[in-house]
Amino acid sequence: MIQLKTMLNCIDNSGATIVECVANLRMKRHGKVGDRIIVVVQKSRSMGDGGPGATSAAAANKVRRGDIRHAIIVRTAKKYQRKDGMVVRFDDNACALIGKNGEPLGTRINGVVGAELRNKQQSKILSLASMHV
Amino acid sequence: MASSAPILRPLSCWKALLRQSRQQKMCIRCMATAQTPVKKLRPPPPLPSSFPSPYKLTHKGHEPAKKIKTYPPPPSARNKFPTPLVDWTAQHLKDIDPTGSRTRLFAKDNKDAPQPGDILLVTFKTGDPFSGVCLSIRRRGVDTGILLRNRLMMTGVEMWVKIYSPNVTAIEVVKRAEKRARRARLYYMRKPKHDRGSVEGEVEEYLKKRRLIRSGALGIKDPTMSTKRPESSRSGVKAR
Repeated sequence: MIQLKTMLNCIDNSGATIVECVANLRMKRHGKVGDRIIVVVQKSRSMGDGGPGATSAAAANKVRRGDIRHAIIVRTAKKYQRKDGMVVRFDDNACALIGKNGEPLGTRINGVVGAELRNKQQSKILSLASMHV
Repeated sequence: MASSAPILRPLSCWKALLRQSRQQKMCIRCMATAQTPVKKLRPPPPLPSSFPSPYKLTHKGHEPAKKIKTYPPPPSARNKFPTPLVDWTAQHLKDIDPTGSRTRLFAKDNKDAPQPGDILLVTFKTGDPFSGVCLSIRRRGVDTGILLRNRLMMTGVEMWVKIYSPNVTAIEVVKRAEKRARRARLYYMRKPKHDRGSVEGEVEEYLKKRRLIRSGALGIKDPTMSTKRPESSRSGVKAR
């Protein structure tokens, strides 16, 4: 149930770690896995130390605190039911940042994501993720 | 009763007078409360025919009542199916679980049935297998499900699996709880203090052992390999 003011973990390597939801796009209900939302970056990792994670592309797209970005919800603590009766819930809310064109900002996604992304045409994020449930 | 006292005390005659009147009053009261027989009232005699009753005009009390046609009730389905929901559930279960193995696996009288606290491994027709600690078993006929919890990549994941789902191909007991859980619902395991964490290690071990046994290296027959309660000697824990 992602809505205004919900704090989410950002699990990609775009640089943001904690973001806050400010709007759900194209819907009047709360956000679920696979939905596109607008977020404000609340906390970001310090990049540009020359570490191995700081690639040049990521450094160019550096996400700073206070940035307004689009994101895709990948995990929700609210349980959701699938067509076959299975019900899945995660312990936290998480998202991955995307650009205006819908391409993910990060190049890796660390963590498990919901398999609903496939139905929502977010296969790019699903393939980046190391595990999906 | 009056004495010579009034001469000395002029007002004392009042005392005697009042006493007398009180006695008289008592007598009157007793007489008044004596019950007199009540005369029973009789209904008035019928009016002569020259005064027709208004009731007779509207009520038609003198005519015989009209016979109303009655129909027999329709045949009741209740006699044919006294317990419709039970029958329907049994029929449905027969359809989705012809061998009855899933029903037996989670039957309450099955000593080897999985219990909350056990580590279970569920394999699906499509998608990856899912393993986790069983937090609760919800027995509701065809809707029976188990709640598994695991920790995948530092994130707790919980999944309700319907045991009769055609997508489920197998439910295996990876490891029994050392002690019987004293709760039926182990939701406290969501708290960090009680979280079991990842069960991948145990599942890995189980799969390795299963592979060995299936290859025949240990000389044990397959159906009995499943972990079992120590006091029980029954087999058939696995549902295929």
